[in-house]
Amino acid sequence: MSRLPTGTFIPGSSPVHRLDARVKLLSLIALLIAIVSVDTLIGYAVIAAITVFVIGLSGLTLKTAVGSAYRMYLFFILVLLMNTCFFSAEDPWFSFWLIHPSHGGMVQGLIVVFRVFMVLVLSNILTCTTQPMEMTNALESLMSPLRFVKIPTDQIAIIISVAIQFIPTLFEEADMIRKAQTARGATFDSPKLSEKAAAVMPLAIPIFLGAFKRADELSLAMEARGYTGVRIHTNRKKACLRFGDYAAMVSVLAVCILLTAFL
Amino acid sequence: MATMTTVKKSIITAVCIALCVVLPMAFHAIPNAGSVYCPMHIPVLLCGLICGPQYGLLCGLAGPALSTLFTGMPPVAYLPPMMIEIAVYGTLCGLMMKVVHTKNLYADLYVSLIIAMLGGRIVGGLAKALIFAGGEYSMATWATGYFVTSLPGIIVHLVLIPSIVVALMRAMLIPERYPKVDS
Repeated sequence: MSRLPTGTFIPGSSPVHRLDARVKLLSLIALLIAIVSVDTLIGYAVIAAITVFVIGLSGLTLKTAVGSAYRMYLFFILVLLMNTCFFSAEDPWFSFWLIHPSHGGMVQGLIVVFRVFMVLVLSNILTCTTQPMEMTNALESLMSPLRFVKIPTDQIAIIISVAIQFIPTLFEEADMIRKAQTARGATFDSPKLSEKAAAVMPLAIPIFLGAFKRADELSLAMEARGYTGVRIHTNRKKACLRFGDYAAMVSVLAVCILLTAFL
Repeated sequence: MATMTTVKKSIITAVCIALCVVLPMAFHAIPNAGSVYCPMHIPVLLCGLICGPQYGLLCGLAGPALSTLFTGMPPVAYLPPMMIEIAVYGTLCGLMMKVVHTKNLYADLYVSLIIAMLGGRIVGGLAKALIFAGGEYSMATWATGYFVTSLPGIIVHLVLIPSIVVALMRAMLIPERYPKVDS
């Protein structure tokens, strides 16, 4: 837990860093739809090639780009094993009680692992190459049609932006609390259900108290600086989409439509 | 005396959304905690209870979505039904806290929590039966998934959430629901 999986902006001047955050967010959504829709080997190969291309363009090291996904290798192994053993009882390699490992199950497991891995890597690239404030403005801009039905999109964008920025802080704090409670004798791995349930209290209550204390301090600081939540703020500059942004968006959409339709 | 301004409600909602990402990872120390204790439900229920229905709704929608984006859990396939279920928890919790006033904090909290947890499970089951798993979702599957497997989680939520609300009130981080009047 001491290593934060994602969410930290890494400054840079790569083409991906320079792209408008709205384009990056829409491209990510389009790629996620393509990842879920594709169900052929060629389709998966194209998705993997696109991801490698984007990593190269972003200037991130391979370790940074795939780090968060790599750290979940135990989850991936578990998903693969469970799918292999339980997914299908047709044409199994052998059968024992409820376990029917089969080729079909293994393929299904590999597909699930591939999809989750790609989602993680692409999300990681987005957060590593986009400043939190840019992300907030992009979210606000993309949600702006909802203003017509009186939904406070600017407030929602601020909430999501603050949430994203809180994740690393709360992550470290939760880890510290877990270690402190372990040092005080809390047992999190007891086989007894009652002891497991009892272990939840000393972990959860301090995490919530610490988090709410931070929320209280931040809201006081924001109010002291005149922020009221009412829409009176302005942007320093209105970002306009450039040729590169349009080109990137059209390319990604075209590839995703082709992938979804034909592969 | 703590007061709940719009800014404070927004920031508490942001913290609860962040906890939807952090808490399941913190609970990884406890074996099978994710499926048994449903740690992502706790911040959403709390957000609804403390900030109100619209904030609970936002937390229920954004929490699981951000968790999928940052950690890959829950997987994308399970995300839509989970978002619907959790959003209903947050909304109903907030609504019930506005409607129920028994002059007893614990009674208000338990009535709101139980109705929200039941409502969320019913709507989640209906969403799965009618939309996400049309025709392949039985009453037995619903009861097993939402009540039998997660029974320890339900008990933990019912014990933990009122304790957290009371602890927050005692720490003066949120306002008292029934402040004591000095005679």
